Amino acid sequence: MIRNAKRRAALIAVAGTAILGIGLSGCAGGGGDDDSDSEGRTLRVWAGSQTPIEANFNPFSPSVLHAALGPIYEPLFFYNKTADDTPAPMLGESYEYNEDGTVITVKLKEGVKWNDGEDFTADDAAFTFNYEPNHRDGLISAEATDESTVVLTYETPQFTNEFQILGTTWMLPEHIWSEVDDYTTFTDEEPVGTGPYVVDTVTDASYTVVANEEFRDEGVPAIKKLQYIGIDANQSAQDLLTAGELDWTGMFVPNPDSITSKGVISMLNTPQDPTVLYTCANAELGCTGPQTDVAVRQALNVAIDRGTIKEKAFVGLTGDISPTFALLPRDQKWVGDPANEISPQSPDAAAAGEILEAAGYAKGGDGFYAKDGAPLELSLISVDGWTDYNDAAKLISEQAAEAGIKVNASTVQWQEFSDARQTGQYQLIMGGVIGTSVADPFQIYKDWFAGESTSQVGEEVPSGRWNFSRYDNPVVNEAVAAAAATDDEAAKQEAYAALQAEIVRDLPYIPLVINATQTFFNTKDFTGWPTEDDLYAFPPAWGSVASGYVLQHLEPVK
Amino acid sequence: MKFYARRIAFYVVTLWATISLNFLLPRLLPGDPADILLAKMQRAGGELNETTVRNIKALLGGDTSSMWEQYVAYWGRMLQGDLGVSVTKYPTPVTELIAAALPWTVILVGIATVISFVLGVGIGAWVGWRRGTWVDHLVPFTTVLQSIPYFWLALVLVAIFSVALGIFPIFGGYDVWEFPNGPEWSWDFIGSAIYHGFLPALTIVLSSVGGWLLGMRNMMVSTVSEDYIITAEAKGLKPMRILRTYATRNAAIPSIAGFSISLGFVVAGSIVMEQVFTYPGIGKLMIQSVQNSDYALMQGVFLVITVAVLAANFIMDIVYGFIDPRARHNV
Repeated sequence: MIRNAKRRAALIAVAGTAILGIGLSGCAGGGGDDDSDSEGRTLRVWAGSQTPIEANFNPFSPSVLHAALGPIYEPLFFYNKTADDTPAPMLGESYEYNEDGTVITVKLKEGVKWNDGEDFTADDAAFTFNYEPNHRDGLISAEATDESTVVLTYETPQFTNEFQILGTTWMLPEHIWSEVDDYTTFTDEEPVGTGPYVVDTVTDASYTVVANEEFRDEGVPAIKKLQYIGIDANQSAQDLLTAGELDWTGMFVPNPDSITSKGVISMLNTPQDPTVLYTCANAELGCTGPQTDVAVRQALNVAIDRGTIKEKAFVGLTGDISPTFALLPRDQKWVGDPANEISPQSPDAAAAGEILEAAGYAKGGDGFYAKDGAPLELSLISVDGWTDYNDAAKLISEQAAEAGIKVNASTVQWQEFSDARQTGQYQLIMGGVIGTSVADPFQIYKDWFAGESTSQVGEEVPSGRWNFSRYDNPVVNEAVAAAAATDDEAAKQEAYAALQAEIVRDLPYIPLVINATQTFFNTKDFTGWPTEDDLYAFPPAWGSVASGYVLQHLEPVK
Repeated sequence: MKFYARRIAFYVVTLWATISLNFLLPRLLPGDPADILLAKMQRAGGELNETTVRNIKALLGGDTSSMWEQYVAYWGRMLQGDLGVSVTKYPTPVTELIAAALPWTVILVGIATVISFVLGVGIGAWVGWRRGTWVDHLVPFTTVLQSIPYFWLALVLVAIFSVALGIFPIFGGYDVWEFPNGPEWSWDFIGSAIYHGFLPALTIVLSSVGGWLLGMRNMMVSTVSEDYIITAEAKGLKPMRILRTYATRNAAIPSIAGFSISLGFVVAGSIVMEQVFTYPGIGKLMIQSVQNSDYALMQGVFLVITVAVLAANFIMDIVYGFIDPRARHNV
């Protein structure tokens, strides 16, 4: 690793003066690559890192490099967020809850080694759960009861936190991390993990990881070397894919055919995260504007032409959304009422008008509804430069006008958007909802709909919660609490059915589409990628845990 | 001497004012870095667990001390060469980021600026000398190049020469595939750096040569009608000697002043170029810092740029006093 700025400056000075001297003639041909020798070839990855790259493999750091999350550090179990599967063992072998969900007993795999040759033990696992940043959710104790068993004891039932505890807690080697003074500033440049790769080199422009010789499974990983590069513009990444210089990435490309037409790179689209209209819905907590009237939200909901939005704004790549916020088909069993499987895809201006008239609105001479002299006029903001969202907002504005609702779409800077949704000072926002990492919409219900996850307009919503619409409904709150306390599927379904009836009627977030997640990978030189038929993991290169899991399945094409 | 003392005092006051403004401006901007970072991560990946959220809030929580205390601490740290720690690349020191980026920018943009100046002034002098002939057509041609939006020109050149024809690389300051261990001392590496810098430099030259050319041509036209040129012609001096020794030297004086200022801006880099080519320079750091409300990085980058522009102006003030004695007496 070269970190000496002076040396680099001198080097570049020489390079610079040489420009005038040698010119271009002697050095063309540097960009070509030898594709014929695919065995043993380096897999080239863009996981969204921007230049300059700074060595930081500390999984608690916000600027952690992607290779740390999965390829190097691993949690106990792997949860496939694309399907309703049972979690796959990683460092854990099996786990068991006690009756009321407060104690989890985990059996660990035996014979696992850290990449520095030390044994991975139950003491390491216990240390990890007790480690300060992991110590949460009312953890009472984490104890190693024998060589390969760790017992976690909590104050409250942890059925709904299973994924957070077993699927996102990175196992740390006690012999390294117990020496770390301050985990917030630790850059962990030589990370010791159990994953299939170890760090080789890090430079400003890229970093390289190589196969971990100590990895528990024989012959894994089959790809011996990965190079992660830093790229600043999506356009550059797209150009590199087209030119065959990049093998794996995950990003939005509106015209994927231009990349996949050569037969080298394939695309897999796995829609995951809902795109919605946030509405500041709750007048009691201080929201103002016509959208606080549930009739207006319902009218908008039926006036929107989701089919057109999908085709025109999202170039046909999005999935259809369910107003229950269950991701279909994955979460099929959690949809209470089959009528709520999918939001209407075509508009119904007449129905919108009926809803409004029933609520006391009347159409004025200008073709727009008004109530008690106040015109029905809403402002809708989206972040400037997110062109798919900007286009969708424009379409919504036109579609609402057809139904007699005036929606003024405008774009704002990122910061304005961020402030508006945090403090609740807005009427409508084009926004995203974080999807869930397991086949259960609970996390969305708790973080986005529950009253405990919101605050008064003017105050920020609680840290780590996202209830920007200020929705607070006792039936929903009760259902969330009931679902959290049980592991019984039928009881949970009952709670969800009650909750879904409320949110489908109240529409604090008006569902639009499920956002596309495109992954591009090289299927000519490498095999073993997830496919449409065998979606064993979430495929993008930036997927944490999942990317490490995918890498264990890859092989070079012979 | 009075001239120089006054200039120096002026620059000291300006430096103090800009550094203070540099402190103040980011603090007047709206937005909380922690919140912005969280929302960005949510948009990018959608995987945020409570641990991450808590860590980010802990790291980027606001500074609660008073503005004045912050200001004093800011000067104290700066005088020790400590520009703070970047938030986007936490916990890397800002000075390290800038030191790594500066050479790339200064050399690439510097060389491109010199080339475009030399070309512009040279061709401009010639066009001005041969005014009224066909060479005048060069003027609208180069000004059109200049008026094309820079990012568009750059993207078109990338699409043609890098993607379609594959002659030039698409991104980076050197071949990251061939040099996975970073910069090294070898002709191969230097060749790779030059090869990667060529297209970015070309776009800068193409889009800025027109300005120099037009200014020089017009200055040349007015200089050529001066009495001393006519005298020189009447005395029968060779036209080339008049062009070089009499006309061009005098006509170039305003361009040289402009050149010094643009040299100051070399440090600011070419933001769009660096973004389009993922070039490892300082303009890109500036964009990143502004987008992420990374105050420390923003201040560090602005500071370096401000000091460079002021220094370039200062040197030019001094040098100009020598080149053009009128400047010393008119102040």
